[in-house]
Amino acid sequence: MSEMEKAGKVETLAAVLADGGIEGWFVPSYLIDEHPELATIDGVLANPDLVGGRFHNCPEGWGCRTKNDNFKVAYGLEEAGFEVFDHGSGETLATSLASAYEDRAPWFGYYWQPTSLLGRYEMVKVDMGPYDAERHACIAREDCADPQRTDFQTADVVTGVTTDFAEREPAIAELMSKVSFTNAQMSELLAWQEQNKASAEEVAVKFLSENPDVWSAWLNDDARVNLAPLLSQ
Amino acid sequence: MGYYDGLFDALGLRDWCGGGAAQDGPMTMAQLLARSRGGGEGEAVATTPWWQVPFPSLDTLNASCPAIWRTRDLTAWVADGFLAIKNTLKVVLDPLTQPLSWLLDGAIWAMLAVPWWVLVAILLVAVGLLTRSATLTASVCLSLLFLAFIDHFDYAMQTLSIIFVCTTICVVLGVPIGIAMSKRDGFQRSMVPLLDMLQTLPTFVYLIPLIFLFSVTESKLYGIAIILYAIVPVIRLTDLGIRLVDKDVLEAADAFGMTPRQRLLGVEIPLALPNIMAGINQTIMMALAMVVIASLVSAPGLGVLVLRGIRNLELGVGLIAGFSIVILAVILDRVSKAAVGRISALTPG
Repeated sequence: MSEMEKAGKVETLAAVLADGGIEGWFVPSYLIDEHPELATIDGVLANPDLVGGRFHNCPEGWGCRTKNDNFKVAYGLEEAGFEVFDHGSGETLATSLASAYEDRAPWFGYYWQPTSLLGRYEMVKVDMGPYDAERHACIAREDCADPQRTDFQTADVVTGVTTDFAEREPAIAELMSKVSFTNAQMSELLAWQEQNKASAEEVAVKFLSENPDVWSAWLNDDARVNLAPLLSQ
Repeated sequence: MGYYDGLFDALGLRDWCGGGAAQDGPMTMAQLLARSRGGGEGEAVATTPWWQVPFPSLDTLNASCPAIWRTRDLTAWVADGFLAIKNTLKVVLDPLTQPLSWLLDGAIWAMLAVPWWVLVAILLVAVGLLTRSATLTASVCLSLLFLAFIDHFDYAMQTLSIIFVCTTICVVLGVPIGIAMSKRDGFQRSMVPLLDMLQTLPTFVYLIPLIFLFSVTESKLYGIAIILYAIVPVIRLTDLGIRLVDKDVLEAADAFGMTPRQRLLGVEIPLALPNIMAGINQTIMMALAMVVIASLVSAPGLGVLVLRGIRNLELGVGLIAGFSIVILAVILDRVSKAAVGRISALTPG
């Protein structure tokens, strides 16, 4: 619970991404096909050359930068012979992944999903062992004294509204409390948008016209009557 | 189904368009809304009042005539065209620019490897020799020690080494280009639009092709971006300086039977030196101005801290880093100006 939530200023309506945001260290699937041992962190640490000898880190100022800087100590990345490359922005991080994938070149680094990039490119999250809440809490702090191995925490991605809004627009608040996507749905839509250079509006239309069974469950009875022509197709 | 259906029908282009019914590309929100009302798709078009005539842009015309491209096809072509020549360009440019990566990496490594007191001493001696001014050297010393005191010394030295390398390359390339421009009017006419473009093109725009051309983990990426931006003043002012050399002096040089080479090295360049140095001063300042943008493509240094301040709304971090950049800028400006002043005083006339 955030401070704003405790003070009654905002409220959480729903987990808009049912699976939560997944962050982690990824390698391209074609590397795993060739070298199955790269699916686990120990396999990666033992074979820096197979993944290019370089870890693509988050830009300064991102939340994941703090975690990665602690993770690299916990897993001994630099001792294992990895060069940690600190990207300057999310754009160069994404470009390095995309251009490596296009050339079928080795790549190892941090990314997260659902994103259009991971919808388009098949990446495998490296198995970093079990998740440990206490260790992760330390990893997420900048002054973590002794980082220990753990998996990344699945991040909650929620729809939040101000309480004012919920009072003024109860119907919309009710709708939004039901709107929720799986990561697979979201990645697919994002990848389609990227491939077709479509606008956000066109993606919304594609989703609405192709998946009435998904979103009809979100509606109340009045809305279902109004949108009957669309639903009946 | 678009507003201009009638136009294509009247011109007899309907066959060329491939009929009006084809749905090329994703459905729009308007079409979906029309469908949700249960009505025909043409309904909305018929009721458009005359003062809301849409501009006949590619996208609007495409709605009436699918044979006409949409704007997004145009952008896709630009992208495809660039990707098609990318590999050829890469083969030529990659080895050509590789030394820049080595220089930048080497300079940054060297700056950080040298102990701080040795580095400060070297910098102060250099400032002293360049400016011959005790007060300036003392204020540079204080500024450097202040940066070190607030733990920004390493960041500042990374920024400084990037500026040194890029400015040196700008001078090495820019001065000969400027001289060539002053000698050939045709070359000058063709260069001026290019220089104008480099100065006005938003820096992000030429970062885009650079990101695709080179590996984003290479330091030359930001090196090239800085050089392209900062090289302009030194070229312009070299050209101007040599053109401004007094015609009588040149006549005298000719009368003494100087060869063109002697005339350039012995008369024109020394007389143009104040202008050239002013250009170098501007180039240094413009290289410094690029450090924050260069940090977006992974340049180390003070720019990284500014970006961090922006991203996390860490006001203090951003402001202190910004202030450190200002300190660096003042040092670089004062020192290069003082050097210009000394050279101008030495130059006769």
